[in-house]
Amino acid sequence: MSVTAYAKENLLTLAAKVEAAFGEKLLGKEEKIGYMQFSVKAEDEHALLALLKNDAALGFTWFLDRCGVDYVKYPKAMPERFGVVTTLLSPTLGVKAQVRAFVGADASIPSVSDLFAGADWTEREIFDLYGVAFKGHPDMKRILMPDDYEGFPLRKDYPLRGRGERSAFPVYHAIPASQAPREP
Amino acid sequence: MSALEKMNDVITTRLGFAINWARSNSLWPMPFGTACCGIEMMATFMPKYDASRFGSEVLKFSPRQSDLLIVSGRISLKMMPVLQRIWEQMPEPKWCISMGACASSGGVFDNYAIIQGVDQFIPVDAYMPGCPPRPEAFIEALMSVQEKARKGEAKSDEFVSDDATRDPSLSPSYRSPDHFESVEVPGARE
Repeated sequence: MSVTAYAKENLLTLAAKVEAAFGEKLLGKEEKIGYMQFSVKAEDEHALLALLKNDAALGFTWFLDRCGVDYVKYPKAMPERFGVVTTLLSPTLGVKAQVRAFVGADASIPSVSDLFAGADWTEREIFDLYGVAFKGHPDMKRILMPDDYEGFPLRKDYPLRGRGERSAFPVYHAIPASQAPREP
Repeated sequence: MSALEKMNDVITTRLGFAINWARSNSLWPMPFGTACCGIEMMATFMPKYDASRFGSEVLKFSPRQSDLLIVSGRISLKMMPVLQRIWEQMPEPKWCISMGACASSGGVFDNYAIIQGVDQFIPVDAYMPGCPPRPEAFIEALMSVQEKARKGEAKSDEFVSDDATRDPSLSPSYRSPDHFESVEVPGARE
């Protein structure tokens, strides 16, 4: 069996298993190049990732990435404003799985840092830049921007050049002529 | 030894001239390399370009023992208070080189996080164009700072820095490391 056919078969196995377990709760399923993408609501995401990780036949134990998406000016209509996209790799099946969770206006989703330790910092990064709060995260605070920064700069309605924060630092003032040091 | 021979060991000059001459040939740089310009800066201090010909091979990673700040690389929102604090810690007389497009103007990074030129917030003596500049450009900037030092000039002399009410570290927008503990984040630790 060729590698491509092997991967294809495993992707179908994966899709069948997830569909059997989730059924109605699965918002969408799409086969991409070399991986399968599942869309779920925010509250179902933790259960789906737990299934992918803990099912011995699937074995998606390798956490690759977790990132945020802001769909506010997206050309296609989306169920909710934000997405949190998690990519896993299965050393057992040799394929990847991607889980896309839609997060609503409350911008809150359960953390998966209990399943994958690597999700800790990526969740902090999503919180920092998109303002999506992760419930149950052990240390939910900013990771890249200054802690007293206001706003979430990767949201699509945030101005690219910022709101003037990059020029809001104390400046040195030129000495008035009356106080200028004079030659002795 | 005759009196005439003893006279040969004496030169007459102004004290200020002699001190400035000594300073100009012993500029101790404080390297602040935050990006690829830092690599060119390191190359300049290596034997091929050999900044020690100009007496400035002693890199001091302590601002208290240096008199030339080299800002090489882009400075982010979070790094600017650190840079200002380092500048404040350097004893006078002190000079600053803004190395490369990013430090001088923000370069291609015209976004919310990058300072559009460090000269807005610290006095800069020499600007270096290039992305990144060649070591030759670095040496040119170093020599222009030496020229200033020989004349006893420094950009920082034109600005107030000893007035306590205008000390950046006392400004409300200055972020001290102690501040970070007190920030509350909504939705955390449920």
